[in-house]
This record gives sequence, structure tokens and C-alpha cells, in this order.
Amino acid sequence: MSPIIEFRNVSFAHGTRAIFEGLSLSVDQSEMVALLGPNGVGKTTLLRLAAGLLQPSAGEVLVSGRRLADWKRRELSCNVALVPQYLQVPFAFRVEEIVAQGRVPYLGFLGSLASRDRDVVEHAMEAVDILPMRNRIFAELSGGERQRVKVAIGLAQQPKLMLLDEPTQHLDLGRQIELMALLRRLVDRGITIVAAVHDLALARENCSSAILLTPGAPAIKGSVPDLLHPELLERAFSVDRPGLERYLAPERRDDGPLSLRKKREQEHRERLRGPGRPTLRDARHGRGWDRD
Amino acid sequence: MESKLEALETSRPRPQWFFTIAVPAVLLLLAIVASVGFGAVRFSFAEVFRAVLHPAAAGDTGIILFTLRLPRVLAAGLAGAGLAATGVLFQGLFRNPLADPFVLGASGGAALGGAIAIFLVPTMSFLGIGTIELFAFVGSLLAMGIVWNLSKLGGNFAMENMLLAGFAIGTMLNAATAALQLRQEATNSGMRILAAWLRGEVTAPSWPQLSFVAIVELIALIVALPLARQLNALALSEEYAAQLGVRVERLQILVVVTGSVLTALAVSLGGLIGFVGLLVPHFLRLILGPDHFRLLPAAALSGAVFLIAADTLARTAFAPSEVPVGMLTAFLGGPAFLYLLNHRQRSV
Repeated sequence: MSPIIEFRNVSFAHGTRAIFEGLSLSVDQSEMVALLGPNGVGKTTLLRLAAGLLQPSAGEVLVSGRRLADWKRRELSCNVALVPQYLQVPFAFRVEEIVAQGRVPYLGFLGSLASRDRDVVEHAMEAVDILPMRNRIFAELSGGERQRVKVAIGLAQQPKLMLLDEPTQHLDLGRQIELMALLRRLVDRGITIVAAVHDLALARENCSSAILLTPGAPAIKGSVPDLLHPELLERAFSVDRPGLERYLAPERRDDGPLSLRKKREQEHRERLRGPGRPTLRDARHGRGWDRD
Repeated sequence: MESKLEALETSRPRPQWFFTIAVPAVLLLLAIVASVGFGAVRFSFAEVFRAVLHPAAAGDTGIILFTLRLPRVLAAGLAGAGLAATGVLFQGLFRNPLADPFVLGASGGAALGGAIAIFLVPTMSFLGIGTIELFAFVGSLLAMGIVWNLSKLGGNFAMENMLLAGFAIGTMLNAATAALQLRQEATNSGMRILAAWLRGEVTAPSWPQLSFVAIVELIALIVALPLARQLNALALSEEYAAQLGVRVERLQILVVVTGSVLTALAVSLGGLIGFVGLLVPHFLRLILGPDHFRLLPAAALSGAVFLIAADTLARTAFAPSEVPVGMLTAFLGGPAFLYLLNHRQRSV
């Protein structure tokens, strides 16, 4: 069976800045994939390419084995749902009215919601547990409630693949865990999930696999424990080992004698304080390895 | 207490579709009949109905009604409908309840275009009816194109950019229109039309002009209806709309074009009448909610009712002298605009 989404040698540039060159990846049915990588590496761009909102300058993106160019736009929206990072609504739309927008790709030119569409909207709200707030005004919801509404819009599209851009951003610990549990339940229903996340612990606890984007290096896909390898993370996020320690998979943690760990931490602190202290810019642009 | 009220407010069901059309439609009929009766000579409902049923036997009453009153009342209605509908469309387009054809400079562009048609196109008869409207449309479209691109600068639509661009363009266009006015002697009939436009005064048009505007406006409103549905998806964000299969750029262009047509028609009848496109949709949103598809027809009908009522007030309240209706809407709309500007956090 063909993967639900596949990138074949995809290149993409924002203006003159190359984001991807020859990116090849694939995600299979019912995977739950964490999309990892530092800010600005192209996580959002990758999700937009997958949703057909951006066209690659070279290579091709395939959804269910079909090239994106061969999909009708609306048909694609019925199979792939993108849940963007931000949702701000300027008017006093109610939650239910917002979720109902997920039916837009199914509606005709003037068509209004049929009873089937209403059922789907109802189920989408039920799945993310927002039925009690269906009549509330979206703009007045809390961050966690908004994230759930966003997921509900995606569910109302009845997609096979749901792409989420930082769904746990601005959520407190409890809401983050709840949201990831919700996404896991969606995978159980047969929806494939690709979610950009920053919290490595959340990724490790919830995802079946991960994609790690490293600036200037090929993207890697693998199991989460494999990718939470100190060398890979050091390179991708441009941090040193002591800073990484608590994010690593348990078996990779350096559990040497206490004195040794203290010494390392001391060295790390001195390095930060010393004349060669890395600037934010250094950190962004990856110090210690060649970008090209 | 307040939370209880709020719960009431949010759990209240939206009115049925039928009522959103039927109620303003009935009001519109009443407004037309009532408004026609008001003026220097008063007619009762019965007299108006008799004249409508037997136009040939109506005599002087018929002349006053059919050549003076009715065209003006219908002109006010068409102008109000066009402005209010444009307000809904532009508010959806800019994702901002403050967008209004007057505020954005579209009306100013239309007035300048119309003025060019009147003064610089030597004989307008070669195209017959529609030249002024056509030039007004081009002027409105250009003004909107400029404001749209300026407000897009810096990536996202900063509201300040939109309002400032609209203000600057609108002011320049008004000044240019006034400058055109200087070229002509005060007796010119085109001059009188332009002066009325700048004041925001509805004048009684000829029946052919009126029917032309009515037909084009109806077509524009029908075209706008499916656009209004897509504006709901656009309210989430451009990215969301694209993700949902909406062709965002095409939608935006069509909304600008349709809105410019409606603005041009309204300006050709009543000139620079401000804030109708802001007041009417705002009021309707409080009752109907923000769904553009429901708002658009309701706004067109209610805009007509509103401007007919305002124009009737304008021509009778200070009789024998008349006040331009644009002045009245400015007094009502200005404070509403400031209120919205202040309450945009919970923008309705």
C-alpha cells in the first residue's frame, strides 16, 4: 500500500532562501508523527507543501500515491486537513459556526449544510469534547479550548491525514497532555497525524515516529527514541550536551557518577559565561557545523 | 448577573433565514409607501395606493408621485442597498467590521470617476446611459485596488494600514473632484450633479437611469451571494480558507469588483454618503450573527430601508430647506465608527 503522503526529492525556496533541497520522506497510514526541528527550519513550510498550499520548485508531493497536481483542490481538502498555528476570528462567530467551516470543501456553489453535514459537525465537536461550548463565541475561548476547536474544524473535513502546526503552543501542561491524548484517539480512528511539536517529551510519550529537520542536513525519519539521540539533537538545535540531557530518551541519558556530571555542568556554565559565549545568532545559524 | 445575561445572549438561537429576508422586505415596502407620502405636499396611504392603481387618473398627485417622489425614494433605496451590501462584502474581505466603502475611499474613487465622465468626456450620449456609472466603477475599482495593496503591505492586514490608506486615498480623490468642480461655471448642470455628490445628496433620477441601476445592482447582488458564503471561510484566515478549498485570490478579486460596482451605482445616485455600509451590517450582526451569507441580503434590504428613512427625514425635517442625507448618516455613523474602533477587541 502506498504511503499516505510522500515527498520525492522536493525542493522549495522562500525567495532566494532555500528551505528544502531534495527532501524525501514518507508517512504511512495510521502513523502519528512528530515533526521536530528548530525555529525557521521549515516545519510550517513542510506542512503547507503537504496540504497543497505551496508548490515545490522541484520534485513532487504525493498524497495516497497521487501527485498533488492531479488532485482537485476541493477533493484534496476532503482528504488532507491542515490545522494552522493561528486562528483569530474577527467577528462574533460561535464555536459551532466555526467548526461548520470544515464542511466548506463538501458544499456546492450555493449549498448549505445538509443534515449529513450537521451530523459530521456534531461528531467532530463531540470527539474533541466541545459540545457544551458550541454556542459560545470563539473569540472568547481560552487557548486550550481554541486548540480543540481548531482540531474539530479539521475533523469536520473528514480527512485521512491531519497536519497540525504546533497544536500544543501556549497550552499549559495539562492541556498539552490532553491534546496529545486526543490526537492519539484520532489515530485509533484511522486518521494519520503529522504534528509539529517543540516538546520532545510530548513527542516521545505520544508519537509512533518522528521527522527531524536539521538546517543544512537531510531530514531524518525514524522512531522517536532513535531520533532523540544526543548527536542528532545537538546538531539540529545547536545546543550542547549538558543542555540536552533531560530531553534525551532514558537509555541515552548520561548517568555517570554525580561528580562527573557536576563537572560537565560547571564546564558548560563557564563556556556560556566566557568570552566565546555564543550569541543568539550563532545559535540560530548553527555553530560548529557547516550550514551547506 | 452579567454572566447570566451573557449565557442568554449566546444561547439565543439565530433567527430563521426566512425572517432575515421577510422582515426587512416588509419594512422596505412600508418605508417606500410612507416616504412617498411625505413632503411639501402630503399624501395619505390611500391616496398613494389609488395613484399606483390608477396612474392615468391621478392628475397632479400622479405627477408629483411618479416624477419626483418615487424616483427619489427608489434612488435612496438603491443607494442604501448598494452601500450596505458593499459594507458586508468589504468587511468580510478585510476581516474588519470598520471597512465601509466611504471609509476605504471607494466612494471617493467613484465620485472622481463620475466627475471625469461628466466634465472630461465631451458628449456622453455615445454610450447613452451608463457612462457615468462605468467611469464611477473604474474610479472605485482603482481606489480599492490601491487601498487593498497598501493595506497588504507588511504581510498581514494591519487595520491601521487599511484605515490610513483609505483616508489618504479618499481625501485625495475628494480634493481632485473638488478641483474638477472649479473648472466649470456654476450654472452647468453637470456641476450641480457633482456638487450634490460631494454633499451626499440623493437627487431624483430619470426612470431609464433608475431602471439601469436597479438591474445592474440586482445582478451584482446575485453574484455577491456565493461570494458571501466563502467570506465566512475567509474570516478564519487566508490560509484556512485556502486549506478548505477556497480560491482565495479569485474570491478577493471578485469581492473587490462586485463591491466596486455596487459602490459606483450608489454614488451615481447619492454621491458621498458615509457610514451606511458600517451602521447597517453592524446592527444586523447583533441580531443575525456574523454569517455573511445571511447578512448580505438582509443588509441590502435594511440598507434600503435605512437610507429611505434617513432621506425622508433629510428632506422633511427642516422644510422648506433640505439637508443632504450624507450629513445625517455622518452624524449617526461617526459616533458608531468611534464606538467600533474602541470596542474592536470583542468585535461584533
